[in-house]
Amino acid sequence: MKVAQLSFVFRRVLKSLRELLWTHILTSGTMAMTLFIFGGFLLIQENLHGLLRGWGSQIQIFAYLEHSLSQADLQSLLGDVRNYPEVESVRFVSKGEAWENFREALGAQSGVLEGLPSDILPSSLEISLKRPYRYRASVAAVAQRLRGMKGISEVEYPEEWIEKLTLLVVGVQWAKWILGGFLFIATLLIVGSTVKLAILARKDEIEIMQLVGAPAGLIKAPFVIEGMIQGVLGASLSLFFLWLLFLFARYRLPSSLGIFPAHDQLQFLGSEAISLLVFLGWLLGAGGSLFSLRRFLKTWGSGRQ
Amino acid sequence: MIQLFRVSKVYPPNYPALTDIHLHVEKGEFVFLSGPSGAGKTTLLKLLFREEEATGGQIIVNGRNITRLDGAGIARLRQEIGLVFQEFKLLPSMTALENVALAAEVVGMSRRESRRRAFHLLRELGLREKHDARPLTLSGGEQQRVAIARALVNDPILVLADEPTGNLDADMAEETMRVFLKIHEKGTTIMIATHDAGVLKRFHHRGVQLQRGRLMSDSKSAQREVAS
Ligand SMILES: Nc1ncnc2c1ncn2[C@@H]1O[C@H](COP(=O)(O)OP(=O)(O)OP(=O)(O)O)[C@@H](O)[C@H]1O
Ligand SMILES: [Mg+2]
Repeated sequence: MKVAQLSFVFRRVLKSLRELLWTHILTSGTMAMTLFIFGGFLLIQENLHGLLRGWGSQIQIFAYLEHSLSQADLQSLLGDVRNYPEVESVRFVSKGEAWENFREALGAQSGVLEGLPSDILPSSLEISLKRPYRYRASVAAVAQRLRGMKGISEVEYPEEWIEKLTLLVVGVQWAKWILGGFLFIATLLIVGSTVKLAILARKDEIEIMQLVGAPAGLIKAPFVIEGMIQGVLGASLSLFFLWLLFLFARYRLPSSLGIFPAHDQLQFLGSEAISLLVFLGWLLGAGGSLFSLRRFLKTWGSGRQ
Repeated sequence: MIQLFRVSKVYPPNYPALTDIHLHVEKGEFVFLSGPSGAGKTTLLKLLFREEEATGGQIIVNGRNITRLDGAGIARLRQEIGLVFQEFKLLPSMTALENVALAAEVVGMSRRESRRRAFHLLRELGLREKHDARPLTLSGGEQQRVAIARALVNDPILVLADEPTGNLDADMAEETMRVFLKIHEKGTTIMIATHDAGVLKRFHHRGVQLQRGRLMSDSKSAQREVAS
């Protein structure tokens, strides 16, 4: 394409942006909504690491010990458990400590314990697993092995938590692509139909350009460039709102909800995720335009090939 | 300049608009294409600028076989042809000057040069005062002259006009025909479709007559027969 034609395309785009400002803004807004939802999932996913760190530390196996366990047996048991490859740390909770914890947990009602012997609760081991083993199957396997050990009377672990965590990780990953993909296609169609309107508005002009021998690229370029501008604009808009959402989550969401770990652990999208969003916006715009143009220039217009 | 060999055009599903057309037009000729409504005049012109594709035969325009062309080929072909239509096909949102300049710009002429040429052409066609007017504020004859200026702005070697005077009154039609004659004097090949048999008598140029998709008479071959 010659320089003169490039400048023609450029002027065409500026003119259209000026004359159809609101159409362009609405289209960008539509794209921004889709990208916002997709970006929201990305945001959650990126923070899931931090989330898992917070929640993962709650995944502990409690092994209650037999009352009659001797000090020597306890030491060998501790040594055995510490040697498990999955185990990160083991903490021994004595009968006295268990009693104290229980009293603290009861708080004002602790009076009801008056007169009870303080060694009524069993001592126990609090076992944390290494991160790669903090999922259901491996936790269950370790628990099973502990049950078979001499000196351990009972083994418990928060099954529910683990189940939820696993579900959440898988859920976010799938929702991102399913919902995101669905919205992407819907947005592509919306963008396609706005472009169709823009094409129809300039139908006569396109016809004349075709009749005087304008290259197809020159006729299409303004629409495609407009689409790209809309897409990148939409992506920027969605990033702006994601940033607001992020600030809100960081400073306004009470930490007592327990969903998020410490506030300063929340992170905004990394540069890769930001690039992905901008790229998707660009793709939405360019794709929507090309899609409509193809259909339009094929069914209508000159040079049926 | 134009050669048609056994050209036919069948519109889907199976309407034969043109059948077995042989026609040679030399460079610099002025040809009137006449015939009753539905004879196939518009179809023939459309084949020449590849708005339609022939279903049979071969068409050579300016030494190039145009029966098989891709999109880029069609665009190149059209850059060599100036087109004028009955309904002018001007863009109402642009001024006369912009309408003319647009045609030059989209094929790669600079904006400045396009406007300069458009300005000169409009002046030559007697629209000196009107280059900033919008088409709808112009008379039919003036609009058609703007359209002719647009057809000429890329220095075509061939001008095709489909009923260019169809929407004009007698005086305007006469004047418009004179514009075409002037263009022809500068060496441009011209082909005008019209169902007005009168022009054939008033202007002594080659007349090609179509009827129901067939070539009925050609004043040039008739002359040749008389001469021989
Ligand atoms: N796109 C099309 N599809 C089907 N039939 C068509 C199409 N275009 C033209 N025709 C038919 O082909 C025949 C020739 O049409 P054409 O427009 O070439 O005639 P014409 O000589 O230009 O007539 P007029 O003087 O009325 O303009 C007509 O019968 C018309 O109905
Ligand atoms: Mg016709």
